Amino acid sequence: MNGSNRLAGLKARPKGGTVEEVRRADEVGEARGFLDRTPRKKPGRKPSPRTHQLHPKVFPEVGEAIAQEAEKLGITQGQLIEKMWETYRKAH
Amino acid sequence: MPVIVMASPKGGVGKSTCAVLLASEFARMGADVTVLDCDPNKSLTRWASHGAPSGVTLKSDVGRSEIVPTIRSADGDGKIVIVDLEGVASQLVSRAISQADLVIVPMQPTALDAEIGSEALALVHEEEEALGRSIRHAVVLTKTSAAVKSRVQKELEKQLSGAGIDVIEPSLVARAAFSELFAYGGDLTAMMNDPEMVTGGKVDKALANAQAFTEAVYERLK
Repeated sequence: MNGSNRLAGLKARPKGGTVEEVRRADEVGEARGFLDRTPRKKPGRKPSPRTHQLHPKVFPEVGEAIAQEAEKLGITQGQLIEKMWETYRKAH
Repeated sequence: MPVIVMASPKGGVGKSTCAVLLASEFARMGADVTVLDCDPNKSLTRWASHGAPSGVTLKSDVGRSEIVPTIRSADGDGKIVIVDLEGVASQLVSRAISQADLVIVPMQPTALDAEIGSEALALVHEEEEALGRSIRHAVVLTKTSAAVKSRVQKELEKQLSGAGIDVIEPSLVARAAFSELFAYGGDLTAMMNDPEMVTGGKVDKALANAQAFTEAVYERLK
């Protein structure tokens, strides 16, 4: 074969790629058993890496304040304690 | 430039081998070839990991939702897009066919390959009707005997031709060099010129077969 001059003559035909055309190709395929076989992701929430459990008892008003602050920040109480611990470590 | 799709819902028929041979031969001719590896077995990714020939760009992990935009973005002047599909009946296959200029259905000369491969041919016909455009398609027989044409192969060729199905000549002969491409990467020309590559087969014959096959595909793209 003789190089790119010959290849220059090759042309792509116009093809549709609209949502409607893809839907039609899907329909035709499904009717013949060509189904969506994309692997499904495992359902449910991923397990948290936070596995260590604390059991501190604090005064009720402190406990309520911690719960409210965590809710306000949109994080868990455990994440708030981690932030507090980080601040404490930086201070000491 | 054209989009060539390798399609058969059966695995192990030679889709990836056809894709590698066409990609490397068209690149050798000066084309900018993009190969889309849509097969979870990642045969083409493994081949390219050993070194893809100059002019070949590989895109891996192309799934159902990405196939149409990926083909369209890879398509352009001076570019040839080759899509290697997984050997199952999936929507990925029907979507890729909808974007094809040529669908190649490889099949070994066995009754089972012919029966399962015919599903891909039927799908092409139905997509032609649904999309209102013709999609050129052809069968290539693979892993054929270099020495003799078996009775089954002769009968299959007769049946395919009788049904008006385009059969690419030459068939792809069972050659050790074709298999070894996935172990060494690159192309057959490099394999032939490197004495350290051991294939246990006739690389020159394999190269001649690949070139004649690519020429036959080229004729169908004009």
